Amino acid sequence: MQRAIEMQGVPTVLVTAEPEETEQARAPRALAPRGFAPGHAMGPTAEIQRRVLLDALALLLGPPQPGEVVYRDYP
Amino acid sequence: MTEEQALGISRLCIPFTPFRGKLEEAAVCLVSTAGVRLVSQPAFDTQHELGHRVIPGDATSALLTVDDTHYDHGCVDRDRNCVFPIDRLRELVAVGKVGALTESHFATAYTQQLRDFAAFTAVRLAREVAAERPQAVLLTGG
Repeated sequence: MQRAIEMQGVPTVLVTAEPEETEQARAPRALAPRGFAPGHAMGPTAEIQRRVLLDALALLLGPPQPGEVVYRDYP
Repeated sequence: MTEEQALGISRLCIPFTPFRGKLEEAAVCLVSTAGVRLVSQPAFDTQHELGHRVIPGDATSALLTVDDTHYDHGCVDRDRNCVFPIDRLRELVAVGKVGALTESHFATAYTQQLRDFAAFTAVRLAREVAAERPQAVLLTGG
C-alpha cells in the first residue's frame, strides 16, 4: 500500500507495530515505536500518540532512509 | 501497453517521493489497514477483505469503529486513535503544526490474499488517495 501511494508521487510515512514485516516490505519511510504491539501502534495515551505522530511526520523532513525502519522509545 | 509500462517495479526497488514544503502548510491524509470505518458504514469481513472505506475528514474517533479479530483490542476499544490518530492529527492542525487534514481518509482490513491486495486494493486506493492531493500520507497498521 505504502509503495503504491509513493508511486503516485505522494510522500508517505508508516507507523508500524510489526517492524520485521515492515523491513521485509521495504517501506519508503517507517517509524517503529519500540515494544508497541499490533493494535497499539500509536500508543495508549493521547500524549504518546501525539509524540508518535510528530516523530512520524518529522521523518518526512529528515534525510532519506528508504527501506530503513526508525526505532524510537516512548517510556 | 508500452514496454515501459509493462516493466513493473522490482521488490528490491523502493519507491520514494520527496516531501516538499512545510508540515505547517501540508494537507495530510490518513490511510490504515486496521479495519477502521464509520459506525454507519457496512462492516468489513474480518476474515478476508479487499474493499476499503472512505472516512470523511471531519469525522472524529467517536464516530469510528473497528472490524478485526487479529490484533489485541485492549487499546483500540477505548480509543480509535490507537490505530487511527484522526483526533491527534486534528489537534496538530489546530495548533498550526500541520496544515490540514484532507477531505477524505481511507481504511482497509485484514486479508491473507496479499497478492490480490497489492494488485487490486492497493492500486485502486493509491489512486483515490492521490486524488485527494495530499502533501503527505500517514499510514498505520493494525
